[in-house]
Amino acid sequence: MRERLGLKKKRWVIVLDTRKCIDCKACVVACKAENGVPIGQFRNWINGETGGDYPRLFASFEPEQCHHCERPSCVRVCPTGASYRRSDGLVLVDADDCIGCGYCIIACPYNARYFNRETRVVDKCTMCAHRVDEGKLPACVETCPTKVRVFGDLEDPKGAPRTLLSTHRYEVKKKQTGNDPHLFYLL
Amino acid sequence: MDHIHWGLLIVSYLFLGGISAGLFFISGLATYLQETGSPIYPRIARVGAMLAPWPISLGSLLLVFDLGRWYRFYKLFTTFTWHSPMSIGAWFLLLFTVVALAYFWAWLPGDLVARAAASVPRRLRFLRILDWPGREGLRRRLAAVGFPLSLGVGIYTGVLLGAVQSRPFWNTNLVAQIFLFSALSTGCATAILALCLGGTALDSRGARLLYGVDISLILLEFFLVVPYVIHGELSPLAAQQALRLILGGPFTFAFWGLFVGLGLLAPLLLELWEIRPLLLDRGEFHASRILAAVTALLVIFGGFVLRYVFVFAGQMTSFE
Repeated sequence: MRERLGLKKKRWVIVLDTRKCIDCKACVVACKAENGVPIGQFRNWINGETGGDYPRLFASFEPEQCHHCERPSCVRVCPTGASYRRSDGLVLVDADDCIGCGYCIIACPYNARYFNRETRVVDKCTMCAHRVDEGKLPACVETCPTKVRVFGDLEDPKGAPRTLLSTHRYEVKKKQTGNDPHLFYLL
Repeated sequence: MDHIHWGLLIVSYLFLGGISAGLFFISGLATYLQETGSPIYPRIARVGAMLAPWPISLGSLLLVFDLGRWYRFYKLFTTFTWHSPMSIGAWFLLLFTVVALAYFWAWLPGDLVARAAASVPRRLRFLRILDWPGREGLRRRLAAVGFPLSLGVGIYTGVLLGAVQSRPFWNTNLVAQIFLFSALSTGCATAILALCLGGTALDSRGARLLYGVDISLILLEFFLVVPYVIHGELSPLAAQQALRLILGGPFTFAFWGLFVGLGLLAPLLLELWEIRPLLLDRGEFHASRILAAVTALLVIFGGFVLRYVFVFAGQMTSFE
């Protein structure tokens, strides 16, 4: 009943199946186009790692962005309350209240925030909240050609994120900082 | 993605805020130490009171201009966020500056205020209230109110860094105390320097107070810096890696040579040498203005280097 009325709490997350990532960077480009991210600055990126001795080699690619933590240290340190966490789990910045002190940029263990050169305030991944609120997918998820990214509501028992996390082993990054990150990497 | 977001402006602000906190602290202490109703150290109390409001005011200006949108700084004072060290610190900063200015006014020489009040034009004659005769009676009360605020300003600069759990170089429970004692010590040194530049050498009682306090503070800093390094080495890997920055890394010389060597050890030895006659009751106390000024400059320099190393090194560390 609560679900049908839309009263049930949502928790938007992205689950990443990084073995499918081919480092095409379409997600990075889509994000910049969608959100008007200034040249040279990024809301998401791909960590590439290569290694081994010829001919036994490996290459791995891991997309990363804001982890939309449950206990975000960036929100805790913000002096004006411009950084906040929405009830659906999205960690956002109110650009009108941000004074650009940079404390949150330093407090984020993932270096997911940046100082926007054009607006002169702090900026970050919003998980495309403006699209999500219209029922659309985040730009990076929609564009990914190899379907690395799975977006959905973690609170939905039959949803894709819950299903994937129930049937796979997964990890989150740097959980020792106590931020309780919610960007899930399938192993 | 690792960038330095807080640079020299923030370093300078932390340094200047610390000096003001220390100046107020030592001046308040001198105001409180009385014998038969009058202060034993009126010169120290006055010089601290005259100087205390200004470094922090300059520092606050630097802080405001470090903001992405400086004219929004007022938002710090339309909100109070109890879980943000910066919000708590901004309020400490504001209250401390107000009290320090009032304390400055209470310590202004009487004849100066009287002359200034007499020359005020008729239209601004409400300003003559500044020549209020009860002014001097407020000194002790303002010192009492300002003590906790000065300690708050002194320690908050360290809490600001220490409370960030994503930067292992900062995230220990010792950084705040190192910053506090360094702040008080640099303030003490600034008072010594000002007295030296003022033209007269320290008398033996004044020297005993200022040097005694400064020696205690420097020793306390040693008791914090050494455990900071040892404890860091015995901490999880991220803390050990962070310490590499001062143990063989780019900040090794700045930390050990400039801060610990020139900023702590050298002034400690010089100050002990200076008050040796007072400690041992042997020999003659002859205050050397040049030696006192050099010692004070070393302490102040060390305080700046400490903040420089911590602000920059801290931002370069993170969890792997």
